[in-house]
Amino acid sequence: MNDTALPRASIARSERIGFTGERRDFSRLVQRGALLELITAGFYRFWLTTDIRHSLWSGTSIEGHAFEYTGTAKELLIGFLFALAILVPIYLVYFLIGIEVERAKAFASIPLILFFYAFGQFAIFRARRYRTTRTVWRGVRFWMSGSGWAYSWRACLWGLLTLLTLGLALPWRESALEHYKMRHLHYGDLPARFEGIGWALFKRTWWLWLLSLPIITLPFTYPAYKAALWRWWVSGIRFGEVRFESDLRTGSLMGLYWAAIGWTTLLVVADVIVLTVVITVAVLFGGKLGGTSAMLLFSRQHPYLILGANIANYLVLLLCIGVVVRVYLLRGLWERVVTSTTAYDLDRADYVRVAGVPASALGEGFADGLDVAGF
Amino acid sequence: MDSTSPGSSPVSESAASSAAAPGNAGDRPAIYFDGTSNRRHVVEVRFGDELDIVEDGATVACWPYDDLRAVDNGQRALRLKCTSSLPLARLEVFDPPTQAEIRTRARCLEKDRGGGRAHTGRIVAWSLAAIVSIFLVVVYGMALVAERLTPLIPLSFDRHLGAMADNQVRVIFGGRTCTNAQGRAAFSKLVETLRQSSDLDVPLQTEVLTSPVPNAFALPGGKIYLLNGLLQKAQSADELAGVLAHEMGHISHRDHTRMMIQRGGVSFLIGLLWGDITGSTAVIFVTRTLFEVSYSREAEANADAFAIKAMHALGRSPAPMGELLFRITGAEGGRTIGILASHPLTEDRRELMRREDRPATGPEILSDVEWQALKTICRSANAR
Repeated sequence: MNDTALPRASIARSERIGFTGERRDFSRLVQRGALLELITAGFYRFWLTTDIRHSLWSGTSIEGHAFEYTGTAKELLIGFLFALAILVPIYLVYFLIGIEVERAKAFASIPLILFFYAFGQFAIFRARRYRTTRTVWRGVRFWMSGSGWAYSWRACLWGLLTLLTLGLALPWRESALEHYKMRHLHYGDLPARFEGIGWALFKRTWWLWLLSLPIITLPFTYPAYKAALWRWWVSGIRFGEVRFESDLRTGSLMGLYWAAIGWTTLLVVADVIVLTVVITVAVLFGGKLGGTSAMLLFSRQHPYLILGANIANYLVLLLCIGVVVRVYLLRGLWERVVTSTTAYDLDRADYVRVAGVPASALGEGFADGLDVAGF
Repeated sequence: MDSTSPGSSPVSESAASSAAAPGNAGDRPAIYFDGTSNRRHVVEVRFGDELDIVEDGATVACWPYDDLRAVDNGQRALRLKCTSSLPLARLEVFDPPTQAEIRTRARCLEKDRGGGRAHTGRIVAWSLAAIVSIFLVVVYGMALVAERLTPLIPLSFDRHLGAMADNQVRVIFGGRTCTNAQGRAAFSKLVETLRQSSDLDVPLQTEVLTSPVPNAFALPGGKIYLLNGLLQKAQSADELAGVLAHEMGHISHRDHTRMMIQRGGVSFLIGLLWGDITGSTAVIFVTRTLFEVSYSREAEANADAFAIKAMHALGRSPAPMGELLFRITGAEGGRTIGILASHPLTEDRRELMRREDRPATGPEILSDVEWQALKTICRSANAR
């Protein structure tokens, strides 16, 4: 336990957080995962997600002690199934209320969609709680208290304000939500808190907001905003007396985002070229039947086959882009943020007692069911 | 509070990170977390009947070899937990010979970790089984389920649904009802004749709207809208009668309610696939649409059969209806992708109705005067 009333007995220790995972290994992991996702129509996602987290968590270490992810794919699968069982009656009730409202006034049911936005925020909070309670470092678990609905209405109100101010209120939204999440975060019996303030983030990013107004500048301003956000976020985190500082460079994030954009463009262009070549070859060398190209006749007679081929091509392209995104924007981002971070006064976290219990994976299931899943 | 800890300086804080043996911990150094706190215990590992964890000469824990499990670890350490110990107790072993010794003694080390070919094979096999089952239910099962469920849902649900759709229709089409009195009388006669001949015992509400769109549609619960655009394209009462009988077919079959059940079931089942893979929503949408339009084509074909039967019962030919439809859409074969169409191709429908053509045995449904009155139902100045 960390008793702050006592004078410090040991020497203050600070260390940069380490990351040891190889990009090649991670790349192989997500490529294999994408292939299996294709074969299993996405059911493999629970195992892939778990493998990815194992890889990222165990690659990250402070003072040589790697983090441990204790979640399992089976938990995610069961959480997903339970979430569905709960979502089905909710959808049904939503639908029936929709009918009644529409009877009173046409298209009056559209605002009901907002309920699902709120539900999505709830799911995001609960999913984070699941991940947190599956994180162990030095034999002590992280855990979260707090209420998913309390978070949800905060997120909704701040979201509305952000919308009304065209994004200017975003720093305060980030700050308010982070305060709520961090206030309920614990490492064993060591409570966390967040000391970042919205104004500080605003001062560092308002010019990016201005530059983002002509939408096409977003590929430049977004990474810059993200870098500022990460630095601000890391420096706001406190675990008891332990604090953090990040010297993440904007350029390094810019590189990641542009690598992802570049690869994605390359993949799309390659796909278009391959398709064009295949179709041209099929039409030119497919022969003719009664004056019409045999290929054209074939495609008229077997529309399901052609549509199926198109869907398959699209899915393969999606999964390839997914690999790029996971390699650069998930692992790459993780690595850069983590290795840019220095933890100060780690000695103040040397005698933390175990506390908290693992939360259920239901939140992850909701997030999956509502398509708001993080990673 | 761990009173001894603040004094005991970290034996060598860089021990772990440099993977060097922590100095004073015997020949098999390791770091032990006892599951109650994050205090680092520099310990020695001894191999007896069980794995003994020894700190400063005293055994602090004995872990049975069969209960040892490897968990996530960094690059160099072998990190162990013990299923019969506290859930968060961990032992981190850095020295390779000790790691090797543990691996030979602990038989279940990798038991809970999955991985491996067989494990992946099992996931793939179960997923494929799930996909096949979903596919079969969507193709064969949902139609049957909807067929059986629809009669269990009270008609009042159809009427609620209809009232909702009615509001939307009125917003979309401006809600202008044609009210010419003679026209309305003729229209009522036409509808009532058809209703009786087809044994439809649902009370019907019918209206003609001023919209120029050539269409007619039924709302669940018994409301049928005829748009003036279609009325103007019709050249005889028989043409129009066929179309109205078709809409009555939808109401008689309760197609809206049935399709809604089918649609809900299919959306749910298809939505199980792909999950959060970004962009997969488009794939789900296309797949769902394919199934929906295939159900819809079936419902349309059934409504056509209903219309043909109703016309035959009146001793009139269904063929004029086919001609009217063809006049409106023209040949669809060349431009519509058959598998994406919600209706059977118009030329096929016309072909079917021509085959069902029979010489008239019954009287005209509407007299010439009544037909002319119906045609001008929207012309009066008192359209609301």
